[in-house]
Amino acid sequence: MADLIHSGEAISSSPLGSLARRQYLAIMWVRFRMLTNSVRSVQGAFEFSAKGVAFLIYSMMGMGLGIGLGGGAYQLVKSEHFQYLPALFWTVFLVWQVLPVALASFQEQFDLSSVLRFPVSFGSFYLMSIAFGLVDVPAILGGICCVGIWTGVTLARPALWSWTAGILAVYAVFNILLGRAVLAWVDKWLAKRRTREIVSALFLLLMLSLQLLNPALHEQRQYRRGGGRHGAQSSGQGVMGELPSWMKPVLALEPWLPPGLAADGVLRVAESETRLMFESLAALGVYIVAAAAVLGIRLRAEYAGERLSEAPAARKRTEEDSKWLLDGSGPIAAVVEKELRIIPRSMPLLFAMGAPLLTVLVISSVLKNTNDTGHAFSWAFPLCVCYALLGFTQMIFNNLGSEGTGIQTLFLSPTPIRTVLLAKNLLHGALFCIVAFLAGVFATVRLGWPDVTLAATTAAWVIFAVPTNLAVGNLLSITMPYRVNLGRLSRQRGSQASALVSMLIQLLVVGCGVVVMELCAFFGKKWMAIPSLLVLAGIAGVVWFQVLAHADSLANRNRENLIATLAKTE
Amino acid sequence: MEIPAIQTRGLTRTFGALTAVQDVTLTVASGQFFGFLGPNGAGKSTTIKMLTALLEPTAGSIEILGKPFSASALDLKRQIGVVPEGMALMGRLTAPEYLRFVGRMYGLERETVNRRTEELLEFMQLADERRKLITDFSHGMQKKLALAAAVIHGPRVLFLDEPFEGVDAIAAGMLKTMLQGMINRGATIFLTSHVLEIVERLCSHVAIIHQGRLVANGSIEDLRSGVASTLPGTESEQRLTLEEIFLSVVGAGGQEAPQELSWLT
Repeated sequence: MADLIHSGEAISSSPLGSLARRQYLAIMWVRFRMLTNSVRSVQGAFEFSAKGVAFLIYSMMGMGLGIGLGGGAYQLVKSEHFQYLPALFWTVFLVWQVLPVALASFQEQFDLSSVLRFPVSFGSFYLMSIAFGLVDVPAILGGICCVGIWTGVTLARPALWSWTAGILAVYAVFNILLGRAVLAWVDKWLAKRRTREIVSALFLLLMLSLQLLNPALHEQRQYRRGGGRHGAQSSGQGVMGELPSWMKPVLALEPWLPPGLAADGVLRVAESETRLMFESLAALGVYIVAAAAVLGIRLRAEYAGERLSEAPAARKRTEEDSKWLLDGSGPIAAVVEKELRIIPRSMPLLFAMGAPLLTVLVISSVLKNTNDTGHAFSWAFPLCVCYALLGFTQMIFNNLGSEGTGIQTLFLSPTPIRTVLLAKNLLHGALFCIVAFLAGVFATVRLGWPDVTLAATTAAWVIFAVPTNLAVGNLLSITMPYRVNLGRLSRQRGSQASALVSMLIQLLVVGCGVVVMELCAFFGKKWMAIPSLLVLAGIAGVVWFQVLAHADSLANRNRENLIATLAKTE
Repeated sequence: MEIPAIQTRGLTRTFGALTAVQDVTLTVASGQFFGFLGPNGAGKSTTIKMLTALLEPTAGSIEILGKPFSASALDLKRQIGVVPEGMALMGRLTAPEYLRFVGRMYGLERETVNRRTEELLEFMQLADERRKLITDFSHGMQKKLALAAAVIHGPRVLFLDEPFEGVDAIAAGMLKTMLQGMINRGATIFLTSHVLEIVERLCSHVAIIHQGRLVANGSIEDLRSGVASTLPGTESEQRLTLEEIFLSVVGAGGQEAPQELSWLT
């Protein structure tokens, strides 16, 4: 023991010291072993392959975005329209900051809190927190976007390649740090009931603001088209002149924000103003330090042993405070009630249901302003309703994932698993119908009443989509489960295999609807889509019943895997 | 002849090349407080999982209350209560919500569930924590809640995997009283524990499993006299403790005692 103590004193606690380096290597080795060990089972091998496929898909998406941004950068630099360059950097910013939250449920992120029982210094912990899980979807997409911009700028002006690369690297570092800080703080806020309510209120406010933002911009566009109220705005007085007055201070502030600073850096290099470029980089550096500090505050708390969990108000109540939500003592009512209690306590689930609605608002607003009567408009209503289904992907396709160790309770109880699944299916189906209805209402409010045939066809598609999703969802939930931590958005285990299969099914269901509707439209009998989809719905219903009927035998065959996977300690 | 509460014949479970439980034949009479002992990794939890239909046996049969038991034997599931290894709690519910959920899953009437929930919360001294989520409970509180959930439907056979682990002395005393009360009313309790003093005090019969095989089975008195007769120099009036019986039966597993760690101060 003495030699151990001696060697402990000799080792520096620096994040780059020999102890820290050994620890990094140890964690990398453990991660590698976990990866190789996971391939031993069939499910693990499938999961590994799915990760590879997902990596390819995301890389291709990134390539598409990167090529688009590269083309944009090339055009802007070639034509010396540097004032529009911030738009490209804002796109990268949005990709890097919005995607982590949107994809949090589907990504596997490494939770480093388990390493805290070892002699890990705060510096090492900080570095590990940034380094591990760096190759995630937003990083792949954001990185490829940055490469795209760099390629575009370099092709247009080869002399700018080195400085642009440096500026983009600094910008990438800022995005990585900010992304981590945002997720860490969102998790912190969502862990407490009070702050979660505030975040939810802000989320609602954001939805309402977007509602208001679009009419404001739309009004301005009308104003421009009509030559302005006083005929003053006849032609190009620049971007500032075309925007509403309230947007002017926003645009004035924009150059001081990180995307603006990064774009300004490129502009200054192009104008050979190296000193000003360094000023922009220094300002960007200030943002990096700020993001690092904000992240550091959270990590310091985690380092000190803080465990995020939902702690209700400290005050105690002596009166009965937990009433029955549903009458009846049957297991279906029990499961539905349990789910109804858990969903409002889980921001990831609320977010999953709410986010598509927000997107529906945006889509419908965009369509309203860009396509008044065209073909795309006719698809807007079903598109919005379809999109609402996306939010239920995880809930439906991994409907046992949130049970955790409680899965054993389900197996121990005398209630058949099919009853549990039926209860969950009924609730999820009902929730989807509500969200789809709201999406339809939003689309109608923004775009006007849809054609009666189209509305009926969409309703028929919903009747087809719900049992199809529920049937496949039940199968995947039993055979490909993964544990979901309902307390946080980030650091989920996730399953790429399940995510891929579920996305494929969603695409197939939407594709079926599109094919049926287009075929009927082609033969001039749009109304035929309704009975056709209802027939498909009938088939889907039969399949759903069959899946439920065989759910118990399937669950019993997969019982050990289900328990082992879902009862894993966090 | 009275139907035994638990009966296994040739119970075996393998995981690939590893045989976790091998040929376990066991009978637990109704109304018995039965201790199931063994060193770490001996196969106790695997056996309990098979007895509660959480794990399929590779070979052998299980009868609970005289009927063959499997995952599909739903009627029998109503007769048993389980505190499994991981406690099977649902962290995002409060204690009353969880108990009500479990009660309803066992098909209890609403009034019964409400009444028993309140009684159990009071009895387990969890009533003041009714607003707290289970995930924020201490380990001992979670144990008490898991036990409450296991008995809410009034099971005839209760399986407890390490019920006293992490429970303070006051709570342990209270739990023992409750379990003894259940035995007095005719229930059967199958218990695993590493705390041999508690097993000795509570259980009338024990079985010891070692490396997947049953190496001892019977009343504590029978085991005591059996072991005493094999130990040279043990006087007949000297009462062996369960720990001594256990060590005598299991020993060091036939392995050499580990060398001392010279570097450990």
